[in-house]
Amino acid sequence: MTIFRRRLQETGKEMSYEASKMALEEAGLELKDVDSVVLGSAPDAFDGIHLKGENLLDGAGGAGKPYLRVFVGGGTAVFSPIAGWWHVASGLADVCLVVAEEKMSSCFPHPQSAFGHIWDPILDRPLKPNLVWIFAMEMNRYMTVHGIKKEDIARVAVKNKRNALDHPCAQLAADLTIEDVLNSEVLAWPVQMLDISPPSDGASAMILASEEVAKKLTDDLVYLSGAGWCIDSTMWTDRDLYFPEYVARAAKMAYKMAKIENPPKEIDVAEPYDPFDYKELHHMEGLLLCDKGEAPILTREGVTERDGDLPVCPSGGLLGVGNPIAATMGIKACEIYWQLAGKAGKRQVPNDPQVGICQAWGDLMQYGSVLIMRRG
Amino acid sequence: MSFTHWHGDMEAQYIYTAGIAGERFFRELKDNGKLVGTRCPKCDITYVPPRMYCEKCFAELDEWKDVPLEGEVVAHTEVHVDIEDNKLAEPFVIGFVRIDGTQGGLVHYIKAPEVRNGMKVKAVLKDDRVGSILDIEHFAP
Ligand SMILES: [Zn+2]
Repeated sequence: MTIFRRRLQETGKEMSYEASKMALEEAGLELKDVDSVVLGSAPDAFDGIHLKGENLLDGAGGAGKPYLRVFVGGGTAVFSPIAGWWHVASGLADVCLVVAEEKMSSCFPHPQSAFGHIWDPILDRPLKPNLVWIFAMEMNRYMTVHGIKKEDIARVAVKNKRNALDHPCAQLAADLTIEDVLNSEVLAWPVQMLDISPPSDGASAMILASEEVAKKLTDDLVYLSGAGWCIDSTMWTDRDLYFPEYVARAAKMAYKMAKIENPPKEIDVAEPYDPFDYKELHHMEGLLLCDKGEAPILTREGVTERDGDLPVCPSGGLLGVGNPIAATMGIKACEIYWQLAGKAGKRQVPNDPQVGICQAWGDLMQYGSVLIMRRG
Repeated sequence: MSFTHWHGDMEAQYIYTAGIAGERFFRELKDNGKLVGTRCPKCDITYVPPRMYCEKCFAELDEWKDVPLEGEVVAHTEVHVDIEDNKLAEPFVIGFVRIDGTQGGLVHYIKAPEVRNGMKVKAVLKDDRVGSILDIEHFAP
C-alpha cells in the first residue's frame, strides 16, 4: 500500500501502479502472471473523473485483461477482495490482482461537497445535509440505547491513533489522551474532530491466487475462508440505528462459510471498519464478537489492545492511518493477511493468530462486507 | 499548492422529480397541510415518506393513509460547523422524527430549549407552501 496523505502528488493511476507493483513484488509475481484485475474505488466525484474505473485501469494493471471495477461506498475496502476471491474460487482466474484507490483531495475545497450529493434530492438535500450529521445521529442513538459515556468511545480513537504510530503509511498517528479527544472541536455533537478519520489519498493492492499457484509461491499460506456481504434499505430512517443488523447478516454469512460457530472464541484478530471511533464498537457488536452494548466495556478493560485477548484494529485503523475510502483495504484485508502471515512487523499481535476477520461499511449507513482469513 | 495542477469542474445540472408517491406526498403537504403515507396491508408497514412499493414484499402500494404531524425524536445531533468546517454563529439541532403510528419518519430541524431522544414533537408548517420538504419549518414540542 502507498502512504496515506491529505494530498499526494501522484495521480490515481500512479498510486494504483505503486500499490500494485508492491503487491506483485511481495508475491514474487509479474504483471504477465495476473489473469484478472479487480479495482475498487468509491464515487467518481472524489477523483472528479466520471468512469474513473476506466481511467485508472492502466495503472491498476488491467489493460488487456478481464477487468472489473466494484464500488459499494466505504464497504469497497473489503468488498474488492471478495470480488477478487470469486474470480479465483470460481476457477476463472488462477491469479487475481485486487487494487483499491482513492484520491479524495481532487475534490475541492473538501470532499464533503461530493458527499453532499449522496442524499435523496427531494427529501434530504433541501436541508443542506452534511454527512457528519447522520453519523452523529447514529452515535447519539447508540449512546442513548446503551447509556454509553463519550469517554468510553473516545478510548477507541486514543487506541487506534497510538497503534498507527507503528504503521509506515500513517497520516494521523498520535499519542493522545481521552481528554484530548473530549476537548477537540465539536462538529455535530456528539461527534468531535478527534472522533473522525481524515479524508486521504492512497492506494492498496493484494494478490489472490488459487491454492495450487499459491503453494508454489510460499509455504506460509493464508486462506480466505469466509466471505459475506449485505445491504439494507437506503431508507435508513425505517430502522433502529443502534445496531447494524446488515453487518450481522454479512458476518453470519461469512461465519457459516468459514465454519465458525463461536466468533469471540475463534477469532484471534479483528479489523472492523473505524471511520469514527464509535463505529469500531458498533461493528464489533455487528460482527457478533461481543454482546450488544458490550464493546465499550471490553475496550475499557483493554481486551482490544494489540496485546489484549482480542486485538482490534492493530493497524491503527482509519482513525490513525487515514481514510482513503476504498484504499483502506490496506489496513483491513491486507492487515489481516499480514497479521496471519506473521509479516506485520511492529504491529504484529503477540497472540499467534490463526483466524482473523476484517469488515468494511459504507453507502448510506447500510452496507457491510466481511472477510475471514485463516492461516494454512 | 506546489504540484503542477489544473482547476476544473464537472459541470452538469439536474432536475429531480418527486416521483409517483412523492408527488402526492408533497401535494397533500402543500395544499392541505397534511402528512400522508402508504401502507402495505400484507406486512402491516406504513411508509412515511410514502413509497409506491413495499420494499419487503414488493407489493405495489395503493392504500393511502393520513398520518399525524406528531412524532417522537429517535436520534438527533447538535451541529456546530458548516460543510467546510467553519464554526457556526449559532448551533442548530437536526434529528430524525418517527411519525406516530408509522414505521417511517422525517429528518428535519428540531427547535426546543432542550432536545432529548424520546421527546414528542410536532411539525410546524409554513403558511406559504410550495411543495417541498422545507414547507415544514421545523419540528417543535
Ligand atoms: Zn409488504
